[in-house]
Amino acid sequence: MVWTLAFAVFAFLPMVGGDYLLQIGAFVAIQSIAVIGLGLLTGFAGRISLAQGALYGIGAYTTAILVTELGVPPLAALPAAIAMAVLVGTVLGSPAIRLSGLYFVMSTIGLQQIVWIVLIHWSGLTGGPQGIRGIPPLSVAGFAFDSPARFYLAALFGSAVSFFLARRVVASRFGLFLRAVSDDELSSATAGVHVVRTKILALALSSGWAGAAGFLHAFFLRFVHPDMFSLELSVVDLTMAMFGGYRSLDGMLLSSILLGSASEYLRPFGQFRLVVYGFILLLTMMVAPRGILAAAGALLRRR
Amino acid sequence: MLPQLLIGGLGTGCIYALVGLGFTLVYRGMAMVNFAQGQVFMAGTFLGLYLARDLGVPAIPLLILVPAISFVAGALLEKLVFRRLYHSHEVFVVGAIGLGVMIENFVRALFPEPLPFPKIFGSGVYRFIPGVLFQKTYLWIVVITLILVLMLHIMFTYTRRGRALRAVAADAEIAGTMGVSVPRAIGLTFGLSFAVASIAGVLIGPLYFVSPDMGDMVGLKAFSAAVLGGINSIVGTIIGGILLGVIEATAAFYISTDYKDVFAFAILMLMLVVRPHGLLGRVVPVKV
Repeated sequence: MVWTLAFAVFAFLPMVGGDYLLQIGAFVAIQSIAVIGLGLLTGFAGRISLAQGALYGIGAYTTAILVTELGVPPLAALPAAIAMAVLVGTVLGSPAIRLSGLYFVMSTIGLQQIVWIVLIHWSGLTGGPQGIRGIPPLSVAGFAFDSPARFYLAALFGSAVSFFLARRVVASRFGLFLRAVSDDELSSATAGVHVVRTKILALALSSGWAGAAGFLHAFFLRFVHPDMFSLELSVVDLTMAMFGGYRSLDGMLLSSILLGSASEYLRPFGQFRLVVYGFILLLTMMVAPRGILAAAGALLRRR
Repeated sequence: MLPQLLIGGLGTGCIYALVGLGFTLVYRGMAMVNFAQGQVFMAGTFLGLYLARDLGVPAIPLLILVPAISFVAGALLEKLVFRRLYHSHEVFVVGAIGLGVMIENFVRALFPEPLPFPKIFGSGVYRFIPGVLFQKTYLWIVVITLILVLMLHIMFTYTRRGRALRAVAADAEIAGTMGVSVPRAIGLTFGLSFAVASIAGVLIGPLYFVSPDMGDMVGLKAFSAAVLGGINSIVGTIIGGILLGVIEATAAFYISTDYKDVFAFAILMLMLVVRPHGLLGRVVPVKV
């Protein structure tokens, strides 16, 4: 209820903010989709991944190629973007998902780097280091989301849909399996939870969310480049998912807003901006390992 | 052509091995992965750059001074930072990445442009075998790596402190009850891991222009090398590093230069699925 209201309030941002603010808003909204997806894997299945950026990139490139090269109508690229991300994520990720947590993180770094290198060097398909330009604006049934305000609203809508969908997943029987598996694989297996299937499904879901974020991203700057989807993006997504809160979709949404707009409010620090950003991450992990929302909750309860 | 490729591969391989050792030392001790390792390596290069270029420190004192400073930095950071991240491996990974971001961007603020590193090892070329060039810097890299590995081996095998470190790596709790100071051993472990990575930074400096992002790729590849050889084995990591360097050099020549960087990561993913403990690593049984 609170979040429905929050999304409704954010929908009025175009009335007060300029184009620049709306651009940041759209960026945050798109990021939040990938972060929530990753949260399904990280917070609920207990597997952290550093490949979310790569899967996000696959969604974006699938969309860009379909729309520019093959003239597919924008909205029709959405299922393709999601399907591609799910395919790559599960095919390359599931062999490693059986491994213990730390080994899984290691293998996702491999996945991230391989996808990024292929995006740079497979020039015939991806345009290589030139990227893909000239992506038309997102349009649905003839209505083009071509101004910053319109696109912002589309991105916000996407973010809201993904958030409420994720809440449904978490509240479902499958969501229960996820939490059980992340708490204790062995005892959930004895209780009849199919552990590997649950984890692979979580991986597929999180990849799907990344693909959807990538779809929107392709229409955000209407230009895609391999470096947009490097390890840096995966790190940003992972830190957002961890920063907000362990097993808290609300926390992830909050941290997407807080960290996604960090480059703006850290501007006064000039060239030390990213040093401060790193410091915030480090400090949060040191004092609030379960995320800011959990720490705030604990602080409130103590009163 | 092949001997020349092998020499190049051996040189980079030694660098991977040294940076990888930093991962291995911490992993053995803590079962954590310090993803700031690549940035530590880079910081070592820039520390070397400052000392060599601005203060005129020659090669050998530099190779003692830089690791000494890094050792202190590592032990200090363990006390102030890493110790508070042992909550879980996820928290440690993200916290260490945060630290890496800090180090990299701090160095970038001080040195925004790529810079040439002074040729502290001279710029001559040896021709031990006709037709095969052996740069002086490569010789230094190989010799220093050998010396370091020997020193580490002696320390771990024959000294009290080394045995204490191994005891903590095997089982910190038991080691603690046997009178080993566990916090001190862990501080020492981080100090050592910083020191070896920073030496690698000084060794590679003269080969390229140095820039603050140079640690990103080297760090990840060194990590792959450690996994290849066995991330809980010191010997394994060194062999893994050299193997990866040689594989990369030959594959870049015979298969594809564009996809040269893919091999390290393909090996990483493959190894984790097929043999997660690496070529020489020990299998650690999971206890319930």
